[in-house]
Amino acid sequence: MYERQAIIERVRRISPTLQRLDLAVEAVQKGVRPGQLFLVRAIESLDPYLREPWTPIRVEGRAITVERPAITTYVPGQVISILGPVGKPIALREATQSLLLLACESTPSALLYLAETAIGKGMVVTLVLLGAARSYPLDALPEEMEIVRGETHKLVWPERERIIRWADHIVAVAPPPFDLPFYADLLALIRKVRLDAAPGYAVGLFQPPMPCGVGACGACLIRRQGGEVTACIEGPAFDLTEIEGAIR
Amino acid sequence: MIEITKGKQPLQISVPVMGASGIFGFAGEYGSLIDLSKLGALITNPVTLQPRRSASGTRVVPLDSGLLIHTGLPNAGVHKVYRENASRWKHSPTPIIVHLIGTTGEDIAACAEILNGRDGVAALEIGLHDEAVPRDVRTILGAVKTHTHLPLLVRLPLYSAVHLAASAVEAGADALVIAAPPRGTARDPLTGQLVGGRLYGPWLKPLALRAVGQVARRVPVPVIGGGGIHNPDDARDFIEAGAVAVQVDSVAWVRPEMVEIIARNLGGLELTRAAGALPDEWHPGLGETAAMRAQLLASPPPLKPPDNLPR
Repeated sequence: MYERQAIIERVRRISPTLQRLDLAVEAVQKGVRPGQLFLVRAIESLDPYLREPWTPIRVEGRAITVERPAITTYVPGQVISILGPVGKPIALREATQSLLLLACESTPSALLYLAETAIGKGMVVTLVLLGAARSYPLDALPEEMEIVRGETHKLVWPERERIIRWADHIVAVAPPPFDLPFYADLLALIRKVRLDAAPGYAVGLFQPPMPCGVGACGACLIRRQGGEVTACIEGPAFDLTEIEGAIR
Repeated sequence: MIEITKGKQPLQISVPVMGASGIFGFAGEYGSLIDLSKLGALITNPVTLQPRRSASGTRVVPLDSGLLIHTGLPNAGVHKVYRENASRWKHSPTPIIVHLIGTTGEDIAACAEILNGRDGVAALEIGLHDEAVPRDVRTILGAVKTHTHLPLLVRLPLYSAVHLAASAVEAGADALVIAAPPRGTARDPLTGQLVGGRLYGPWLKPLALRAVGQVARRVPVPVIGGGGIHNPDDARDFIEAGAVAVQVDSVAWVRPEMVEIIARNLGGLELTRAAGALPDEWHPGLGETAAMRAQLLASPPPLKPPDNLPR
């Protein structure tokens, strides 16, 4: 965990609502892995007060690419304060060949670095976009990935049962306050289709506000079987079969 | 050294800057970002007699230049908190002050008794609830004083600090901390619900500063000020208002390195800017974290010069 300066090197608009930023960061922060994120302060002003969570979508050479809403203006050369990497990497199950990713009510940004890494390892990746995630620009996604657009109603998409049976591993993302209800529905669906969800089979990303990022403030505690854990240290990815509220 | 409390076990600190309760965890959570040895003391997150779970629902609401936070003060209970942190407290580079809260004086007194005489616990800070009246203060501190010899700091609620200060001193407070972050209510933009919690932000400073000034004139014990401190000048204002030391809080979330800069500034350890230094070289050494220093120590530079040097 380090606090360092980074420089925005390039800004690209990928849709009317999204832009991608290439950041030049120091070597210690290039070690970020899928699932981990940075807490960033882009301006000197104290408004907004909290650092914003920025999840890398690609790490290439000396640059880290992130995705941000287009409503905020960033300029090349802008110096930002970056703290991280925060959290633990997502641990893919051994022998995973087919990876199913689900994004519900948010952009799939938090899953894209994982998708690229998995594709690079020869895995077959399918991404399902649900709810508000359906409006994500498809041409910004890797060509090697199968994209499935679901219905506006959560957890309904074409060939749903077949795709769940096909997947060796499932990773889902939904922002608060949709996260727990979505993960509970997803876990119930997986148990219905596959009869059981093995430990580690279905993973959900939790993205609560993280004021400190070091596990000190207790604002991002997640209720897991056997006790509470901080999303900024133990997360943000958790096995859904261990999360209180996801288990019914 | 600055003497915060007198008595058999005086609390002395080398730097008049402490890490406030609720921000820095239970010991060294910030150790990878801040050189904690530069702080005068570290106050733990609130500790209760029985374990407490985190609050359900929304815990953080962003505000203009600040935030509202409602964690529910989660902790594992005094026994487990001590068991899990005893070693870290004992070897902490800075004195550890344990912040105790409870619904009754008996609860807090029981916690104080459990921690009395323990290695690594330099003092106790009692957090009074916002609705406390002078009688509550006397009851709680009276109970605690009979169960511990540790120095007793009492953190007063912001809006009743002036009202409660004299009672706290009469009841045995060795020092007063002014003030606890006030409570507020704000609408969570994600759920649309109203949420209550503690408020943090730079705009708290004028309120806390006034309370410190009012209390410091009236009580014979040291006053520690805090609330909204975001730079060394803010901290110095509290000292000028009558505080002997300050507690820094949410600035650690916003700019962790500023905690160390404030501590160095008030501790007379600030490094001056070298002529021509670039902005990111402004505080040389401050950007290096404890982890990086450990890494450097683990791999020292080679003692012998390389063979390919020209002869």
